[in-house]
Amino acid sequence: MIHNKVIYGNVTVLDLAMALIILIVSIGVAKGLVLYTRRLLKEKVDKGQLEIFAKVLYYVIIVTAVLVALPFLGVKPSGLLVAGGVVGLAIGFASQSIIGNLISGIFLIIERPIKMGQSVNIEGTVGIVEDIRIMSTTLRTFEGLFVRIPNQKVFTTNITNYVANVARRVDYTIGIPYTAEAENAISLIKKLIEAEPFALKNPEPVVYVDNLGDNSVNLLVRFWAPVSEWFSIKTKMLWRMKKALEEEGIEIPFPQRVLWFANELKGSVKADPESVVGKEAEAENLS
Amino acid sequence: MFGSYNIPVELREGEISVSLHREQDVLIYHRECLGDACDKRMFSKAEKILMVPTEPVTLPKAITPYLFIKFDKTLLLEPESTARIYVTFPVEIGVFASGGGKPQFIDGFTLAQKKFTLYGEPSTGKICRYWNSDIHTTIPEWDRLWEGIMELNIQNTDTDWVEVKKAVFNAYGIKIFYDQGMVSMKSIMKLRPGDTAETSFESSPIKAGMKKSVERYTLKKISVATGKFVMEHGL
Repeated sequence: MIHNKVIYGNVTVLDLAMALIILIVSIGVAKGLVLYTRRLLKEKVDKGQLEIFAKVLYYVIIVTAVLVALPFLGVKPSGLLVAGGVVGLAIGFASQSIIGNLISGIFLIIERPIKMGQSVNIEGTVGIVEDIRIMSTTLRTFEGLFVRIPNQKVFTTNITNYVANVARRVDYTIGIPYTAEAENAISLIKKLIEAEPFALKNPEPVVYVDNLGDNSVNLLVRFWAPVSEWFSIKTKMLWRMKKALEEEGIEIPFPQRVLWFANELKGSVKADPESVVGKEAEAENLS
Repeated sequence: MFGSYNIPVELREGEISVSLHREQDVLIYHRECLGDACDKRMFSKAEKILMVPTEPVTLPKAITPYLFIKFDKTLLLEPESTARIYVTFPVEIGVFASGGGKPQFIDGFTLAQKKFTLYGEPSTGKICRYWNSDIHTTIPEWDRLWEGIMELNIQNTDTDWVEVKKAVFNAYGIKIFYDQGMVSMKSIMKLRPGDTAETSFESSPIKAGMKKSVERYTLKKISVATGKFVMEHGL
């Protein structure tokens, strides 16, 4: 019978088939369970936590299945532990970065400095966290690029999480002319901030004369916004302030320089007689 | 303006106008409020619409379930005492299509000022809908279309005097009641040692005969969340 045919050692075709069946069934069961768990807990558990739980569940089932299947292939898991000491040392040296990424991935999952869906800056790469896997973290940049960063790098580098806190400050420096009343401009800007629902009442917004610049009196404007609305408010409010100031006759000044000459310039501007005659003729024709 | 109306309907009051009529199988909805307009087309067999006050935390965008009421004057409570005060809260009006099953939310609008604030620190605090109210010992005068009346029962269980300048509530616990003249809520604030408090709502109106409104923020059966709120960032 073919199923009793020995392939190697004591392992027969039947044993090999059993091992394969266990692995295939366990992969199917793991995927099914993960899918069912995701559906069941979708609205009850935070998305990030749910993904971590789903991954842990998946790998626990797969590792258990491998341990169950190994004896069919003539490998005893207890024997692996003994051999693992020596082999592990060799593999450890050979795959330092892989192990480093794995350990970093575990620590990232435990410490959770970033979560899926958050806007972050990891070593200059700015984007939204798409996935935190065992070996790497993937970002979707705002230009739509896919970036994979090894977990060891994520764990050891500086991370800026733009949405970890519930509120974020908006800062502007707005220049007004020296001839304008700063009090009027400040009052106008404060009214605009008060009228905007997402410019938070507390922490209290501040608007004040920050410095006397080369070309303008510079006002510093600071207010807070919910982190989910921060970008839209930041872009919208600056334009509103510019328009409101202009409507009040307060122009945002251009850079300008007043030149003083040591000697008074002596000269005069004379009109071109031909062009004057030409213009008089045009005026006569029109009348 | 609050209540149930048969379709077609055309309502107009002050700055608000709402109309809903059927054209063949489609319901044509149009609403205007303070210059803001909303138009929707619905494929529904609904025969009625409900216009009722809803949890005042959803406009202009539902970014938080918390309502923060800042008192105009500081309230001082002596040890182990209780106080009943009345404050106002913003009214948001919800329009629901009412057919056979659960009312379906169509639109929401408000005449009240829309403003948000932060309760606590940016790292640990909560974004809340902001409202400023004077404190009254009797039911004050109000404009029913944009202000509701909340009866707030404060219990000081501490052995010290307590200063209260604000109250924060969770929309998941809000129970709103209404009639043609008033929108109301009844709430409890239990002051705890260490400048903390717990707020919750009672499921009863502040006067007899008021109807319970539709709840948009409902707790799921299997949920660890409650409708209470613990004020741990100061009073």
